[in-house]
Amino acid sequence: MKKILELKNIYVGNEEIKILKNINFEVKKGEVLSIVGESGCGKSMTLRTIIKLLPKNIKILKGKILFNELDITEIQDMERIRGKEIGIIFQEPSSYLNPLFTIGNQIEEAIKNEKSKKLCKEKVFKILQEVGLPENVYYLYPHQLSGGMQQRAMIAMAIVNNPFLLLADEPTTALDVTTALGIINLLKNLVATHNLSVIFVTHDISLARFISDTIIVMYAGFIIEKGTSEEIYNQPLHPYTKKLINCLPEKYRKRERILTIEGEVPSLKNLPSGCPFSNRCDFKIDICEKYLPGEIKFENRIVRCFKYGNIVES
Amino acid sequence: MKIILKRLKKRNKLSYISFWIIIFLYLSALLADLISPYPYNKQFRDYPLCPPTRIHFFDYNRKFHLRPFVYEIRLVNPALNKYEIVKEKKCPIYFLVKGERRKILGLFYSDRYLFGTKEGKVFLFGTDIHGRDIFTRILYGARISLSIGIIGVSISFFLGFLIGGISGYFGGKIDNFLMRLVEIFMMFPSFYLMLSLRAVFPLNLSSFQIYLLIVIILSLIGWAGLARIIRGMVLSIKEEEYILAARALGLSTFRIIFKHIIPNTFSYTITAITLSIPGYILGESALSLLGLGIQEPYPSWGNMLSVCVGNLRVLSNAPWMLTPGFFIFLTIICFNFLGDGLRDVLDPKNW
Repeated sequence: MKKILELKNIYVGNEEIKILKNINFEVKKGEVLSIVGESGCGKSMTLRTIIKLLPKNIKILKGKILFNELDITEIQDMERIRGKEIGIIFQEPSSYLNPLFTIGNQIEEAIKNEKSKKLCKEKVFKILQEVGLPENVYYLYPHQLSGGMQQRAMIAMAIVNNPFLLLADEPTTALDVTTALGIINLLKNLVATHNLSVIFVTHDISLARFISDTIIVMYAGFIIEKGTSEEIYNQPLHPYTKKLINCLPEKYRKRERILTIEGEVPSLKNLPSGCPFSNRCDFKIDICEKYLPGEIKFENRIVRCFKYGNIVES
Repeated sequence: MKIILKRLKKRNKLSYISFWIIIFLYLSALLADLISPYPYNKQFRDYPLCPPTRIHFFDYNRKFHLRPFVYEIRLVNPALNKYEIVKEKKCPIYFLVKGERRKILGLFYSDRYLFGTKEGKVFLFGTDIHGRDIFTRILYGARISLSIGIIGVSISFFLGFLIGGISGYFGGKIDNFLMRLVEIFMMFPSFYLMLSLRAVFPLNLSSFQIYLLIVIILSLIGWAGLARIIRGMVLSIKEEEYILAARALGLSTFRIIFKHIIPNTFSYTITAITLSIPGYILGESALSLLGLGIQEPYPSWGNMLSVCVGNLRVLSNAPWMLTPGFFIFLTIICFNFLGDGLRDVLDPKNW
């Protein structure tokens, strides 16, 4: 299958902190890729790097982002790619919709390459139907919709231009479980009908398994494991992934105590010199505290741990 | 527009009424040529400081007349401006009375006036020292006093939005430069700035030039503080998530500033606009009061009031000279109520 997006050796940050370090992955056409990890691992930053909406003091330091064989890091006018070829949906739809304009107005604004107002409006009604919203939503303001409807409206805005790639930044975190399921099913349908590629960021590894083909596990700005969703879920390699999966409530019987991962993600300002996970890892050996493990490749899996070979990150 | 009015009517009666009063005031200013019973510069030398004329339906014999009429009045004591009603002489009021020829709305000439008397005089709000009808002069004065607010506000808000918006959105060096500029403008005490700006220009200008000059002076004073406030609001709004979302949609910077950020300042700026219109009316009054504004014989509410200042005799003997003050007050209070109501109504969250 054709590659839509390829990140090569990406470093993001500034002089003081490095937020993303040596990020490499690719997204094929029609593929759903999930990025999972704890808060502060750089998941959202990865998405914001791809559409170059980073906070002011943070820059892409190194590397290439190839989007349809075009290097995004070198493009000056991202406006022609954002919205049109890459759509994005956010975590909290209520704060990402402008409170002053109707939904119809906002979706219309997102439409590019369509001059006629009438056709624009028709297109909006079509897209509303596609994301499962009634037509009268066109005339409503964001605060008049429920969270799930707002998220659907956001999705409508993101896919109205038929983008190649959809970035979803925890789109279900702010919703309750049943609404979230509706949104997930909608996304799955859209992937099938539009042949859309999706990068899906979430905390929830079982949700990631449900929706995606490939899962990337991130920790402290590194990709520490990558593989197909079944592989990751059933045979996790990295100790961190194992622990993450051990925390899932569905793995436990009633009244059993759910395990947690002791400790916290280390602050980006003072990372341990070795493996960033070494202070929480059960399989720690001497080398872990001294050197940073490099990426070890098994067929199409990647893992960053000394358990599987002595490759040191340069 | 219709929807906004409907909501205004439903939610805030006071501002709805204010809206119609303002419309009424503006219409009468526009149609001053048609409504006024005399030309604005016509002096009735025999009637200085004449009190408002009463319009009667009943005469002194308690007899009813369908056509309203006024009694003729006569100056009995020129030193104290005492008038006496001539009870024998009834002057009925007619529509479309013949009078002096004058141009209407700058389009055509006519010698007919909407209402008036064939003999005697109708001074609805009395006359000033030179015997000019105050009602007529208020109508003509409204043209200047009411339009100065609207035009002045549009100029200064245009500047304020442009400079505040750009400064807040881009930040950094641009922000620094523009805000220092604003501070220079704000540094001057506004009244002295107004006077010195006025002093720069020659005194012998035509009244239209003076009018333009006043508008420009007033808006040059007004925009700085506004730009500063808008910059502050833009600074906070641009960090909102929906602005990030708009950027993610690939909208241009210009569009983001003027379609997404500026409208979100409206909850403040609409009130600020309606509250600053009175400032312009008063500013013009202040200039006229000092003789630097609109020059006689052209009336403005400000220069009509300026006659009263420092003249206690006029104030105590002829309080009707203060009617322009009442109209300034009415306009200001209506604009304030309207602004208040509009702010509530225009915020979609309040529907």
